[in-house]
Amino acid sequence: MAAATPLHPKTIPQFLTTPTTSSIPLTHFTNLSFFNNQSSLSSRKPGSSSLTRPAAKKNNRWLDPFEQGDDPEMEYGQLFSDGKQDEDPRPPDNPGNPYGFLKFPMGYTVEVASLGLKIRGDVRRCCCVVSGGVYENILFFPAIQLIKDRYPGVQIDVITSARGKQAYEINKNVRWATEYDVDDDYPDPAEYTDMLGLIKGRYYDMILSTKLAGIGHAAFLFMSSARDRVSYVYPNANGAGAGLFLSETFTPDTANLSEGGYNMYGEMVDWLARPFRSVPRQVVPPLKVSISRKVKEVVEAKYKNAGVSKGKYIVIHGIKSDSKALMQSRGDTDSLLPIEIWDDIACVIRGLTPVFVIPHERERENVEDFVGEDASIVFITTPGQLAALINDSAGVIATNTIAIQLAHARGKPSVALFSSDDKAKVFVPNPEEKKCAVITSKTGKLEDIDVEAVKNAVQIFSMPLAIF
Amino acid sequence: MAETITTFTLLKPCSIKYNSPRATKAEFGSFSRSLRQNSCSRFNNGRHQIEDRKNRRASGVRVEALPDLQLMAVMIEHLDGQRDIITHKSIWHLSDQAMKNVYTFYVMFTCWGCCFFGSTKDPFYDSETYRKDGGDGTGHWIYEKQEDIEESARAELWREELIEEIEQKVGSLRELEEAAGKKEDQFVS
Repeated sequence: MAAATPLHPKTIPQFLTTPTTSSIPLTHFTNLSFFNNQSSLSSRKPGSSSLTRPAAKKNNRWLDPFEQGDDPEMEYGQLFSDGKQDEDPRPPDNPGNPYGFLKFPMGYTVEVASLGLKIRGDVRRCCCVVSGGVYENILFFPAIQLIKDRYPGVQIDVITSARGKQAYEINKNVRWATEYDVDDDYPDPAEYTDMLGLIKGRYYDMILSTKLAGIGHAAFLFMSSARDRVSYVYPNANGAGAGLFLSETFTPDTANLSEGGYNMYGEMVDWLARPFRSVPRQVVPPLKVSISRKVKEVVEAKYKNAGVSKGKYIVIHGIKSDSKALMQSRGDTDSLLPIEIWDDIACVIRGLTPVFVIPHERERENVEDFVGEDASIVFITTPGQLAALINDSAGVIATNTIAIQLAHARGKPSVALFSSDDKAKVFVPNPEEKKCAVITSKTGKLEDIDVEAVKNAVQIFSMPLAIF
Repeated sequence: MAETITTFTLLKPCSIKYNSPRATKAEFGSFSRSLRQNSCSRFNNGRHQIEDRKNRRASGVRVEALPDLQLMAVMIEHLDGQRDIITHKSIWHLSDQAMKNVYTFYVMFTCWGCCFFGSTKDPFYDSETYRKDGGDGTGHWIYEKQEDIEESARAELWREELIEEIEQKVGSLRELEEAAGKKEDQFVS
């Protein structure tokens, strides 16, 4: 193809004689000496083989047919080409400033911002489109922290479902959380275009999506006109054509990403943490949640109302219900126990009060029937309040709901009940570190769980009883 | 010769033309003239009236209640040697312009009626929901307040965490200093 010798003077008339391809290659030619170098900066550096990024091998020829790889004669200086980006050096905005109209956007010295954006691949504004509910969103927190560490000063926004949005009450790294049902295959045209205008108007540098993208979702991301469009794609035929619109794709093994458990976003996190020039590979931070004072106060009033005091109770989460606020993972649907079994388990707890977390008020009667009128019941639907409740507790007994992950994030001891060994391994990778006792059902169904084993495991909460 | 000439005259309700002998001797010319008169605008009518008043001072001022509206038509069949057959048709005859006016009025009235009577069905009509200063009480009709609240809450959270971290670091530093101070004391003593 003539692209191999693009600067040869005779190639241009040749192209002009062929009417179908005359205009498009010409525009590329004008850009070639200029853009090709920059786009290849992010892909590979021939001198240092250890710094190859995993995406370089599966280079998508459709994205740029003139991608030649790196220019070996290119030399980079220090400024704007190496290391991480800088945080915004400006002082915070003074609301009393009479020259308020002179407020520039968070442009980080706008005059030269494009240098860093092009050469170093800075990310000033990042959007994460997170598919799924509370569980999936909270497991995305380490990725958000990773982006924050990798690109200092980045502003991270999130677009997620209405349930998942509630999770960002306990995330300090997110700026805007916008509600949009990503998983809806046939969105309302008005909502769709509204969201499109919203993300386009925010001028993102990078947009990440954990929804498995087909060509439709990929086009949605493409129309955000972000520089980096990164998404998972369907592992089956639905993913055909999605790569055209995306600059980076990940193909999971299964069509349900949540089956990956705690590391469900492994591929994406791996890519985000990739080393670049002199920046070493980022360490993936553990899951952390932060709870605001206001939520703590609200929850304290709630559990005091239920008749327990701080540090003297155990949270029981995972009661079977038809509520929307179950906070279970999509990858593990068999993760709820009926109240009878919970009653069996709770009656062996000595010294500490079991607090039953109900996801809906209509469960209250049910719990009172089995456990008794004096049972401590707390009605909680949001992950923020659940986290605050767990934060003040002595420990957690839960099935595979977000309560387990929150207990790990706050460093509380926990007993996790799983339907099978495989699920347990996936969702709680190293339980010893996390002070977590994992109990699995032998038959693969959670209801057949060995209550005696659970009762033995619950004794770990009784250990610190000697202190009280 | 049984030639029948049928004429067709549009009459205004208050017009006295019908009584005048000129109108009964219907001619095509008078018909077309009257048509011309009818199609001309209200100002022209007014001018004619003024002229009429000048011509016949004795008569009072004629006022047309419905100036552009023809409520009655008179058909005259004229046969030679016979009396004219006069047929009255009480049909409304409107010019194109008048029809347009009527329909315009009808449409506007319908729209206004929908708005007005529809708004009286509104449970929040003229209530505080609509009449207060703004969507959020600030005087700005901006509805992104919820997101702003959430955003500022997260920023607050971030600051709280930062302060906690700093306090922890300061605390550990102080412990170190105290430990160092004790050691120095020991050395001194």
